[in-house]
Amino acid sequence: MTAPANTVVRTGRDGDDLLVAVRDLKKHFPIREGALQKVVGHIKAVDGVSFDIRRGETVGLVGESGCGKTTLGRVVSGLTEPTDGGVYFGLGGEERRKLDTLLEVQSPDRTDEQSEALSALDANHRVDVMVGDAFDHYRRNCQVVFQESFASLNPRQLIKDIVGRPLRVHREASGSDLTERVVELLEQVGLGRQHLFRYPHQFSGGQRQRISIARALALDPELVILDEPTSALDVSVQAQILNLLHELQQERNLAYLFITHDLSVVRHMADRIVVMYVGKVAEAGPTQTIFERPEHPYTDALLASSPDMKESAQDLQALEGAIPDPALPPQGCRFHTRCPVATPACGWEVDDIVRWLEDEEGMFDELRDVERKSPFEAALSFRSEDAANRLAAALRSDAVPDAMRSAIEDLNTTGTDTRIRFTAVDEVQLTLRSEDHVAACVLNRGTSTEPS
Amino acid sequence: MVDVPAGPAPARITDSAWRVRTRRGGELLMSLLKNPTTVAGLVFIVLLLGMAIFAPLIAEPNTPDAYQMPRDWGALAVPPGSPGHILGTTNVGGDVLYGVVWGARTSLRLSVIVVSLTVLIGVTVGSIAGFRGGKVDEILMRIVDVFLSIPELIFALAIAAVLGPSFRNIILALAVVFWVKYARIMRAQIIHVKENEYVDAARVIGDSPLRIYLKDILPNSITPVVVQATLDMGNIVLVGATLSFIGLSEAGIAEWGVLVSEGQSGISAGRWWSSTFPGMMVFLWALGFNLFGDGLRDVLDPKTESTR
Repeated sequence: MTAPANTVVRTGRDGDDLLVAVRDLKKHFPIREGALQKVVGHIKAVDGVSFDIRRGETVGLVGESGCGKTTLGRVVSGLTEPTDGGVYFGLGGEERRKLDTLLEVQSPDRTDEQSEALSALDANHRVDVMVGDAFDHYRRNCQVVFQESFASLNPRQLIKDIVGRPLRVHREASGSDLTERVVELLEQVGLGRQHLFRYPHQFSGGQRQRISIARALALDPELVILDEPTSALDVSVQAQILNLLHELQQERNLAYLFITHDLSVVRHMADRIVVMYVGKVAEAGPTQTIFERPEHPYTDALLASSPDMKESAQDLQALEGAIPDPALPPQGCRFHTRCPVATPACGWEVDDIVRWLEDEEGMFDELRDVERKSPFEAALSFRSEDAANRLAAALRSDAVPDAMRSAIEDLNTTGTDTRIRFTAVDEVQLTLRSEDHVAACVLNRGTSTEPS
Repeated sequence: MVDVPAGPAPARITDSAWRVRTRRGGELLMSLLKNPTTVAGLVFIVLLLGMAIFAPLIAEPNTPDAYQMPRDWGALAVPPGSPGHILGTTNVGGDVLYGVVWGARTSLRLSVIVVSLTVLIGVTVGSIAGFRGGKVDEILMRIVDVFLSIPELIFALAIAAVLGPSFRNIILALAVVFWVKYARIMRAQIIHVKENEYVDAARVIGDSPLRIYLKDILPNSITPVVVQATLDMGNIVLVGATLSFIGLSEAGIAEWGVLVSEGQSGISAGRWWSSTFPGMMVFLWALGFNLFGDGLRDVLDPKTESTR
C-alpha cells in the first residue's frame, strides 16, 4: 500500500556533503493500562520520517508541540532508540546511494546479498546499532543544546567541570590544559575566565544557554541538535543567542538541526525546512521556497500563526482546533481534520463523525456504540431513533464540511443505527513539487515546475 | 563588561574550585546557624557527643569491659549527692553517672553503625530500583512495601526477640527495620532526578552510566537521605533504648534503656534518679538530632536552593 518511503521523500541532492540521513524513522511509545500494564496502543510520535542533513547547513524542523519534533531530535541524537527505520551518520555519497537502493526493497524481498550489504552499512553508520570506533566518532560529532538551560546544567557542578566534561570523558585534555581549553570555549560563546568557578544558578538564562553551547562545542562536533534553544528566553536575548549560533556556524562549518515551533526563528538561520505534523513530514524544502511558495495548507497555517509573518500572509487563515491524537492519527492526509481547503479525497473517516458528534450539543451522549468495519466504514448505534435520524440529516446538510459530505459513499439509517461508508483513501504521500521541495497534499498549486 | 552575572561577589581569577566549594560550605553553615532551634539541636548534639568522646575522663572505665556497669554492692540505691555516686546508684548498685556517660558512647556506637548500614543498604537498593526501573524496580519495591507495612518498633522487637537478647542483635534488628525508608526516598529521588536534561546532556557527551550516576544523579538526590539519616540518629537511639528497656540487650551493660529499666521498680518508692537521668539523656539525644535534622532540611531543600 505504502510506496517505498525513500523514492520520493528524499530531499537532499546527491553529493558527498551528506552528514546525516534519516530514513523512514519511526518511534512509537506503548500506551500501557491496568494492573498488568498491558499495551493497549501506541503513540506514534514519529511515524515514518526521512530527510538529509548536509555538512555545514541548518535544517529547521518545525511543527506544533506534540508533533514529534522533539522525539525526532532525541532519536537523531541517540538518546532514544527508534522503533523502526534508522538514522545514518557519516555516509559518503556513494554509500548513501547504495543505502537508498537497498532500502527500496522491502525487507522480506531482500536477497541474502542485499541483507548482508545493508547490515554492513548499518554496523558502520546506523546510530542505534553502531559500536566501537564508529559510535565514538558519532558521539563526538553529534551534540545537543536543550531547551531548558537550567535543567540541562548539573546544579552541583562548576562551570569548569560542566564545559570541560566532554573533553575529560573523551580523554582530550586534563589538568591545566583542560582549564585553558574551557576558557577558550567560554570566550568563544562570549563568557570568560572569570566564570570558570561558578555554579549554574549564578547565571542568567541567556548565559546558561551560552554555557550549554560551549559544552556542545567542546569536542568540535559536525552536527549540533538545537532543541528549541531560544524559546525559554526573552526576545532580546533570543536574538543574541541566534547571532552567536550563526557566527559559530560560520567559523566551524557546523550543521544544525534546529527544532522549533516558530517559523520566524529559523527564517534567517535555516537553509532548508522540514515541516512536521502528527509524526509525519507535511512539507520539506529550501527555506525560501517554503516561505514564498508553500504547497501544504499546514505550512500556510504555521506562517499565518507566526507574528512576524502576519503582513506577508494576511490572506492566510490561522490554525483552529486541536492537534489530533498521535495514537490514532487521521487517515489519508493527517491534516484533513483542521484543513481549510480539504477535499473529498483527503481521507474522511468514521472518526471525523465521532469528533463532530463530540462538538455537537447533546449528540455525543446519545451515541451508544461504534462498530467499525474499517476506518472508513462503520455502524453507529444511538440511544434513540431521533438521534440517528438527526445525524443522517446533518450529514446530508451543510452542518458538516462540503468535502466530508462529498466523501460519503453510502449512508442509511435503520431504527437507532446509522450505517456509513466513506471513500477509502490511502495515506497521502510526499510528492516532488519543485527542486528539492516535497509536500504531502492532494492538491497541487501549480506554481511548481514539473518533476524532472 | 556587559555580561556580568548577578552573583554574590564578583569572582576573582585567582579562584579555585576548592575555594569556591569551601565558600559554599561556609554559606551553608551560616544559614544553618541563623535558625535558633537548629542551634539548640546542635548544642545538645555537641554536648552529648562530647560526653561520649570524653567518657573515660569523666568516669573511670570499668575493667575489663568499660561498657559493663561497675557494681558497688555496698551502696545500693543511694540518692544523688552521695559520696562517690554524684547521681546516685540503682537498686543493684550501678553508678547512674557512669551509666549516663558511658551510655552516650553506647548510643553513639549504636546510631552510627545502624545509620551507616541502613543508608548503605537503602541507597543501594533504592538506586538500583530507580535507575533500572521495570521488573527489578517492581520486585524491590514490593519487598520494601512488605517491610513498611509492619510497625517499626514491633518489627524490631520481633527480630531482636527471635535472635536472642544481646546488643549486637539490637543493631541487626534496627538495621533490618530502618533501611526501607532510605530505599523509598532514594528511589523517588532518582526517578525524579534522572529525568533532568543534564542527565541526557551527560549521555550525549558519551559518559558511562556509572559516572552519570555518581556525578549527576547521586549528588542531586542524596540531600533527603542526609536529612533522614540525621533524624534517624535520634530515632534509632530512642527505639534501641526501648528494646533494651524491655530486656533485649545483655543485662548490666552501660546503656540508657537498661538503666531506666533497672530503676523502674524503684520509682514508686520515691527512687526517681536511676530512671530519670538516663531517660533525660534519651530525650535530649532524640531532640537534638530532630531539631538539627529539621534545620538541615530547611537549608538543603532543593527548591529554596534553586531560587536563591
